[in-house]
Amino acid sequence: MTVQTPITQALQDGTITRRELKTLMQRSDRPGLTRLIGWILTVAITGTLVWMSMGTWWLLPAMFVHGIVLVHHFSLQHECCHYTAFKTRWLNDFFGNICGLIIFLPNRHFRYEHCDHHTYTQLKGKDPELIELPISVWKYLAYISAFPFWRMKFTEIARHVVGRLSDDEKRFIPKEEYATVFWEARIMVLFYLALLILCIATGWTAPLYYWFIPVFLGEPVMRAIRLTEHVGRPNISDMKENTRTNLVTWPMQFLCWNMNYHAEHHYAASVPFFALPELHEKLKDHVYIEKRGYLGAHIDIISQLIGIKPRSDAPSEPAR
Amino acid sequence: MTSVKREKVWQDVIAVADLERGDATPVTFGRRELAIYDTQDGITVSLARCTHGAANLCDGYFDGIHIECPLHQGLFDARTGAAKAAPARIGLKMIEARVENGIVQIFI
Repeated sequence: MTVQTPITQALQDGTITRRELKTLMQRSDRPGLTRLIGWILTVAITGTLVWMSMGTWWLLPAMFVHGIVLVHHFSLQHECCHYTAFKTRWLNDFFGNICGLIIFLPNRHFRYEHCDHHTYTQLKGKDPELIELPISVWKYLAYISAFPFWRMKFTEIARHVVGRLSDDEKRFIPKEEYATVFWEARIMVLFYLALLILCIATGWTAPLYYWFIPVFLGEPVMRAIRLTEHVGRPNISDMKENTRTNLVTWPMQFLCWNMNYHAEHHYAASVPFFALPELHEKLKDHVYIEKRGYLGAHIDIISQLIGIKPRSDAPSEPAR
Repeated sequence: MTSVKREKVWQDVIAVADLERGDATPVTFGRRELAIYDTQDGITVSLARCTHGAANLCDGYFDGIHIECPLHQGLFDARTGAAKAAPARIGLKMIEARVENGIVQIFI
């Protein structure tokens, strides 16, 4: 069987020409490095808020805001795993691993998992990142709490530390990369353990207040954002339907490295983040767009959960 | 019965003017899918499918030297076919090529 990439499908669609797409696929170091400077400044500002609020009731809200920024390291890591954040390939590997260390997401494993997510987007039993439409509002809230996510991720890392993969992982991780996946998990865990020992031995608490607690406080926001990408869209391979683009405010667009243009990203994952607004202009009448942004996407999802709208995963009526 | 092996000859594939400048052009030659690369060092030709996941490499990102698979971002040197980054491990099957009178030819 001939392997078809999403880009092949996009080109067959005829909405965009091969020349246009190849132009948009051009990479550059400058936009990524420029945004990275802004990124580091943002982390420094929210980190300063935490510092200023030490010993006050404002500490928890400050750590929450800082955490929202920290969990968005996922967006940079995601861009790096596509090798589109920077033109220089090793910069993508370097920053992808740093981001993965910050948010406890091993980079190489994520890269392969995410590749299959793009190949089999929204297809049950095939898409390794598929988030099923919850069966109830309670399950929806449980997902947003991030507890199921952390349980799954920590189990995954533990499995890799002991040199094991699940059957699903064996499907999307190439055999040649098993050792890399095991060793990146071991190195990450060794790093966290070394840091923990250092903190206990010296009484150093900064990693707790500026890193760990904020990440755990902020992760529910990331879970809520990840829900808006595909949940509530049909479980079919048609990229025009299975993904949701959300029109969001510029601070959120900055934080997510333009990944709110998610349908455009799935249309052509090789298009770098800085070219997605231009791709959006070309595809905006062709892909599914939620003009009310993340909030609108959640209204759509909840409407399906409480029966105001038909569920996207409901079996279609048999033809009469 | 003895099979007679056909002699390799130079065969026309595509006009240079029809190539995607500085990029990888997909061409079907008989039953073969070829990738024709306009590299920094001249025109080269390989079988178009990635040796790892079988995606057509012409849909991937090309920087004038390396072609990146659109499916898993494995990397190959388009001048030699050498696999350069995981998950690509096996090199590309390169086909000897030349340009004659504005036409890309392969020795096949």
